[in-house]
Parts: sequence; structure tokens; C-alpha cells
Amino acid sequence: MKRTESTRQLDLRYIAHVTTITGILEESYQTCVATIRELLDELDAKYGGFRALFVNPQTGQMSLNAMIYYSDAGEVPVSVIDLDHAINDGGTVTFW
Amino acid sequence: MAARDNSVQTILWVNLADGSTRLETLPEAWTRKYLGCRGVNARLLFDEVKVGTDALGPDNVLFFGTGPMDGLPVGMGRMSVACKSPRGTVAEGSFGGFFGPEMRRAGVDYLAIRGQSDRPVYLYISDGTAEVRDAAHLWGLKTNETDAALRRELSDPDVQLRYIGPAAENLVHASPIFGNLNNSGGRAGCGEVMASKGLKAIAVRGSQGIRVADYDAFLDAYKVLRSRLDLATSRDMWTPVWSTYGAPVLSRLFTDIGNLMTRNAREMRWDFDKATRISCENYLDNYVTKAKACWCCPWTACYKLHEIKSGKYQGFKGGSYWAGQPVTFGSLIDNDDLDLILVLSGLCNEYGLDIFHVGYTLSWAMECYENGLLTRADTDGLELRFGVPDPDGLVDLIRKIAMREGFGDLLARGCAEAAKIVGQGSERFCLCVKGQELEGIAERNLYMVALGVAVSEVGPDHTRWYPPYPCNPSLISKDELAELGIDLDLRLAFQGRNPEQKGKLLRWFSISRAIIESLPSCVFLVRDTLGLDMRPWWHLFEAATGVEMDYPEFVMAGERLMNLDRAFNVREGYRRVDDQPPLRMATEDVPYFGYRKLDPEIFDPMLDEYYEANGWSVATSVPTRQRLEELGLGDVADELDALGVEVE
Repeated sequence: MKRTESTRQLDLRYIAHVTTITGILEESYQTCVATIRELLDELDAKYGGFRALFVNPQTGQMSLNAMIYYSDAGEVPVSVIDLDHAINDGGTVTFW
Repeated sequence: MAARDNSVQTILWVNLADGSTRLETLPEAWTRKYLGCRGVNARLLFDEVKVGTDALGPDNVLFFGTGPMDGLPVGMGRMSVACKSPRGTVAEGSFGGFFGPEMRRAGVDYLAIRGQSDRPVYLYISDGTAEVRDAAHLWGLKTNETDAALRRELSDPDVQLRYIGPAAENLVHASPIFGNLNNSGGRAGCGEVMASKGLKAIAVRGSQGIRVADYDAFLDAYKVLRSRLDLATSRDMWTPVWSTYGAPVLSRLFTDIGNLMTRNAREMRWDFDKATRISCENYLDNYVTKAKACWCCPWTACYKLHEIKSGKYQGFKGGSYWAGQPVTFGSLIDNDDLDLILVLSGLCNEYGLDIFHVGYTLSWAMECYENGLLTRADTDGLELRFGVPDPDGLVDLIRKIAMREGFGDLLARGCAEAAKIVGQGSERFCLCVKGQELEGIAERNLYMVALGVAVSEVGPDHTRWYPPYPCNPSLISKDELAELGIDLDLRLAFQGRNPEQKGKLLRWFSISRAIIESLPSCVFLVRDTLGLDMRPWWHLFEAATGVEMDYPEFVMAGERLMNLDRAFNVREGYRRVDDQPPLRMATEDVPYFGYRKLDPEIFDPMLDEYYEANGWSVATSVPTRQRLEELGLGDVADELDALGVEVE
């Protein structure tokens, strides 16, 4: 997995059916990955089921049945369309 | 078992002044022109309730409408209740459950109730016959008590019931009609109108079946619709969420994205931990005892029964925790005690109150209190602050509102009327449109919602355009949109805070939802492309009724309904000036995220676009003669003309 030099501290929030995978509603999460796609891979390794929920196997893009919101600290959360969307230290990612 | 022909619709006229009843068949052409349910109710309301009718007088007519899909697997028991609102507008709402199919099984598609009884009565309908019965022993009972008493009296656990609570009997603002204990409909005051007629309840029982015109075609059409809803095949981000959790899931997400009305919508983000405490995840894990579906719903069982299992409210049972309750008794008054939310909303159901009226009027009163416009001397000693420092006092206040006791009498008038009495600028804190309190969806970061709330003929009602976003733009091509007759740039329409295309989007959503509620079916089924592509609904309608029409004609039925509702309001004097957002939304920015107030620079172009797209006067909002005639509503234009309305 591609790693960046800096470590990122993220707030991860799991909504509704995603909590049935994680067993928790939210967590403070430390990672070195730089994109939502890489974060999904990490979470898939940790919990299982993340890729199946969020990635369309045919296109490799976001599943039309899923939604991810991302915001940098203090910024407006935006709906993620491109899984290669960058994540930064202090960001919040909401999965549902 | 006898089976009814599904191409013919019947109406039972009841006059409570003399107890007379009459069953008629509606013209067959009405099924083609108005489809059914909400569409037929709109035509009946325009024809039967003349301009200037006293809403609480004998000449107002209360209509209960079903439709050709009721009693079939996509009808889900939806039905429409309509009358003139005590505030002068159209009062129309829909609810689900089992009453609609039972009415059809009794051979009655529409029920029209006029006149006033000089004593409390209830109506018993059984296989095409109706009987007006004494209800003196029921008057004053709460909704749950009425439900139990009638089931005992009729010795029939499967009888379907609609009733009002003490709040409606006391003509409390916005009181709806209830059924199945926790379902309500007609929050623009249909319960008040029912009470004004002395009608406590309606009981219905039938034994007939419904025969679709073409069974094989219906099954084929049903399979297409079902595939758009199935977890495995639906292409909609809300499908998995809704399938288990329902609308309260929004509390955590909405606070995250600044879309949760908090402390009377002064703010739009709540503390995330508070939102988590009242979330659907907590509700489902710790409160829900059973999930229930409406009649033959092809989707999820979204109605939940619950029980508080510990603490001082232990044993309190109720049902229905949807998008409204977490806002009205949660973030809006800054209360993160889910037990208390369930008690407050449960008491509203028992007393027959509208939760939105009560929630928004409470949050208005709290803001007044914190600004010194109301004091303990006004509130019967209650410390009425955000954060709810006196929960027991608030619980008792629900009863006082329903019974119009003490301070409760002020709040029973609704937020807009209460603000006029208190004055001193308290109108600024009042979140109403056309005298009706808002619902759960915020406005300043979803512009189509703001527009939809402002122009709705019944006051705020999200079901008229729900859901407030188009399907994913990649699901439907420009060519396909053109083929469907939709003039819309989906990518612009999808941008929540871009005013462009919102008028056109709202118009299409209003037409398509009007169709769905006329079949009737449930707007929560508008998943995948089902809100834009109405062909699956068209095929179902044709197969169910045998009434063949081309697709544009089918779509036109929805537009006809919109124009009838608009014409009703226009006839009562409503114009463009009444289609505006609440003062707070129009004049106050959200304090973060750059969400702007809905000032005329943003709002007016959307309104212009909406009126233009509808073929209505941009200056007045009155439908033009040309548009009305194109829709086959020349008689409506003639009547408006005769009344001196400025029809262009």
C-alpha cells in the first residue's frame, strides 16, 4: 500500500448499517494513507465488508448504494464522488 | 368473495346534519383525468367547497380518498384526507396503514362528509352501507382509548379506524386525524374540521376483493418496480439505510453536514454526541420491540413499535420514530434524552396533537423566554429554556396544550397566532409558512426544500416533493430525460445550494409525487429513478385499471392536481407574497459553512423559474388561462374569472 510520510489523525463516523460491520458508531483513527480509497482498503482489512459496501467491483468507483462525506477541519462536509479524494490530518469521514 | 371492478370509483356522501347517506359512482372519465386518491380529492374539494366557506362550519366537506392501487401490493394502504383548512388553504395529507384497503373492500373509494351533527357521533361503514352512531361515550377520550373502546364495542379486532383526540375536539391548531394509534394525516387541521362536525371516529369493515384489469401485466410491472427497490439491484444510496433504520438515521449525518435545525434553527449543527444519543442506532438497539409495515408494502417495514425499558418512564409504549421526532423534540429544543422525546411525541399521539405544531411552538416559546418576551408569570411557572431544565413540566405542558389550559392555551393557537399575541418582535422566532409550522428538513443548505416548503398549497409538507434531490445524475441520460419530457439539467439540479434549476426540479417532483399519491402509493418508494421515470407507475396503473392512456396524458394528471390546489388557494386570496420562507431563513445566515440566508437574490429567481415552468403568472402565482385550458381545466379558469381573480 502506498504510504505518505505524514501520519493523519481522522474522526471516522459510521452511520446505520455500517455500524453492523464496525460494531461502533465512531472512532478516532490514525493512518498514513492519503486517499479515501486507501482508507477503505485499510478499514476493509480491519473490519471486513468495507470494499463490498462502498466500491462497485465493475467500475472501481463508489457504489451507487453508498455514501461517504468528507470534511477537512472546519470545512463544509462534501459528498465524495471520486474515491481518490485526498484526506488530510484533522479530517472527518462519515460512512453510510 | 365478491370482487370489485377496478376501473370504477365510488363515493359515499354523508350529511351529518340529518344522518343521510348516498353511494354514487364517479364518472369513469375521472379515473383517466385525476387517477384517484389525492387527484380526485383535489377536484372534489375545488367543486364542493366554495370560496369563503367557513372551514369550521357545516359547508366544509371532509374527504377521505383511496384510489385504484389501494388494496394492491403497491398501494400500501395510502389514502388522502382533504378539506379546507381553518387557515384558509387546502388541507390535505396522506397516511398509510390498512384503512384505505378496508374502505375499498367495503365498496367505498371516497367518503365525503358535510354538515354538522348536534351531538358526538361516529360513522360505521360496512360493505357499501353507512350508519351514523352515537359517540357521546367516546368524546373526550384519547386516541388510544378511543381505539380500544371501539374495538371492544364492535367486537372486531380487525375493524379499521380513524379518529381524533381531545386536541382536535378542543380545536387545537393543526390537529390531524389518527389511526393505528400512531399514524396521523392531515396536519393542516383536518382533525379540527372533523371535530367541528361532531365526528369522533370512522370505523370500516368490508368483505369484497379488488380485481386488477390485467393480472399478468400487473405482475410484470410490479417486478420492474420491485427491482428498483431491492437491496441487491436498487441504485440508490438511501436504500440500504432506509431498509433497516429509517429517517432518524439523518440526525447524526445532518448535524455533521450542518443541516439539523437546532435551538429553533438559530443553529444548524448540534453536538454530535447529543445527535448520537437520539439516533436511530440507539433507538433500534434499545427501544424497538417490533417493526410493522403498511398494507402489503413491497419495501421495508418502516413503522416501529417501541417501549422505554428503564428509568422514570419505564413501561411507556408507543410507535413511530421518524424524521420529525428527533428534530421537534430533540435538536429544536436541545433535548438529547431519547426517553423524553418518545414520551413527548407519544403524548402528542394520545392527545391527537401534531408533533410539528407542538415542537416548533415550544422552540418559539423557548426563544421568547430566553429573550425575556415570556416570563415564568406567562408560563405557569415553567422554566422554558433550551436544554429542557424541567422535563416534567414539559410533559404536563403537552396535556395543557391539548386541553387549552393556562399557558397551554397560548401554544394551542399555533406559533403564528401565538406570536401575534406576544408581539414584541417574537414573529422573528416563528418558523411557519402560511400559518403552518415547518417539518424536519432544513432549508438554508437545500434550496429546493426551501422553495418546496414556501410554495406548498397546504403549508410545509415534504411529501409533496420528497425526496429533495434527483436520482444520481449518471443513472439517466439527457436523451432519456428528453424522452420522458423532462426539461432539466440534472447536474445543476443535484447541487443543493445552487439556485439554478430548482424551480424546474421542484415542478417535476411535485407533478410526479402528485401522481404517486393519486394512485395511491407511498413517496418513500421514490428510489433509484422512480422519481423521474414514471413509466413503471404508468404500467401499474394501466394494468390495475384497464384505463389506457399515453404517457404524457398520465403525467398531465399530476399537473392537473397541482393546478387545482393552486386555484383553490388563489380563490381564497393566496398569492406570490404568501410563497415565502420563514423570516429567520430569509434574513439570517447560518453561522458557519458559508450557508447563506435565503434573501431575494437567491430565492426570487427560483420562485420565478417555478412559476414560469408551471405556466403561472410570475407576478401573482395565478395559473394562466392558457395553461388551465391545456390541462382541461377551462371551467376552473372561468370560475376564477367570474370571481374577479386576475387570470392572464
